[in-house]
Amino acid sequence: MRGVSVVHPELPEKAVLTGVDWEVMAGDSWVITGLERSGKTLLLETAAGLHPFPVGEVRLFGKPVTGMEGDELAWVRRRMGLVFDGRGRLFTSQTVFENVALPLCYHGNRTLEEVTPEVWGWLERMQLESVADQMSGRIGRALARRVALARALVQKPEVLLIDNPMAGLDMEHARWWRGFLGKLLKGDPAMEDRPVTLVLATDSPRTLMGLGKRFAVTQAGHWHLVGDWSAFERSEDPAFQGLLHDEE
Amino acid sequence: MGAFMLITLGTMATKYGKASRVIRPLIQEQILRAGIKVLPIICFLGAAMGVVIVGQTVLLLMQVGQVQLMGPLLVTVVIRELAPLTAALVVLARVGTAVVTELGTSRAMGEVEALEALGVDPIHYLVIPRVVGFTVSIICLTVYLILFALLTGYLMGFLRGMNLSLGEFGGMIASAMSWVDFPLLGLKTLAFGLIASLIMCYHGLAEPMLLEQVGRATTRTVAHTVVACLLCDALFLPVYLLL
Repeated sequence: MRGVSVVHPELPEKAVLTGVDWEVMAGDSWVITGLERSGKTLLLETAAGLHPFPVGEVRLFGKPVTGMEGDELAWVRRRMGLVFDGRGRLFTSQTVFENVALPLCYHGNRTLEEVTPEVWGWLERMQLESVADQMSGRIGRALARRVALARALVQKPEVLLIDNPMAGLDMEHARWWRGFLGKLLKGDPAMEDRPVTLVLATDSPRTLMGLGKRFAVTQAGHWHLVGDWSAFERSEDPAFQGLLHDEE
Repeated sequence: MGAFMLITLGTMATKYGKASRVIRPLIQEQILRAGIKVLPIICFLGAAMGVVIVGQTVLLLMQVGQVQLMGPLLVTVVIRELAPLTAALVVLARVGTAVVTELGTSRAMGEVEALEALGVDPIHYLVIPRVVGFTVSIICLTVYLILFALLTGYLMGFLRGMNLSLGEFGGMIASAMSWVDFPLLGLKTLAFGLIASLIMCYHGLAEPMLLEQVGRATTRTVAHTVVACLLCDALFLPVYLLL
């Protein structure tokens, strides 16, 4: 991203974040942190090519996203997985299995039966076998988020953007997420042993300590590149310190 | 609305055959919903139309000795006008509000963005199965409605002493129709199907919506579809007058 202003699609005249200069390299792991409603979600969605931006340039895999459309844009989006905040915006009229199977069926022109082994493998990896046949709107929030993760990973994306992965999770689920994201960073066999580039947005950076190599902060409409965890801890900005110590 | 229609028709053309093993079952699902499940009410309405309109018309014409006008009258009233409009309005009443609610809720819940994030075209996945399914349903339901109305009308007339066999009755209807009636009926029902389904999908999807706005969108859909179908119907009037 070069000099990008992030806007809400329904209020394009009012920038939520300005001057975003950000480069994500293959194998990076970024943690974007900031207070609630500071623009993290919109930044992630803009980075995924979902929202227009009035100022600046966004390049995905080296190509400017402006002007991309149709199959080219779809192809770029498939190389990026996006896990939305909350319940992950699952398709509530479908079962858990159908949610995970949809991208495989649609892009591979395959039936549900044909993708069953692949989908089932992901459900097992996410420990979701017991809820596979349930409607996605009826499962708990923590499991819904895992379904959203499986749905994003099933296409084996090179970059994974996750909005607030740890929000509202109990200890057990949080441990599972930390372990799983750690495996993705190192290169999981399910992802053909290729390390996945991670971008994680969070209100509480401490919950992602150890996962993020680089940190950036969205604060008061501005974008700040902080550096690694130690640089974040050493920062004297009271707002940054507030983010670090909010759980204490 | 115009842009939405063009985008949908464009997507239909450019993505023809793409992901067919996903889209085809979705189209079948919509035909089941707006066609097969609506068939009983269409049969009932056809029967009612036959008793009330066809039956009475036949009896009235017999009383005034103008039985030869029966064919042109039934063709004009039932086949050209009432059946296509009734089929479209029944589909609108039966599935229109449900479609706007489900699409509007999907939009409000951010499921449309989720589809885009997966590289799935929301128009291709959500709109086209509904447009194709509803249009096919309206075309087929119109044919059933016409058949039921005419058969019940004949039965009504027969029971009240009409001195015509079913073959003679059918012959009168057939001779009152010209070959242009068939493509025009197809075109009209196709237009009604496209109009109704596109308006439903437009109101559900095209505008960003909050959950509390979904109810208002459904009311708007019904009003817009009725007006648009009637206006479209009026466009066919000069063509029929020239026949």
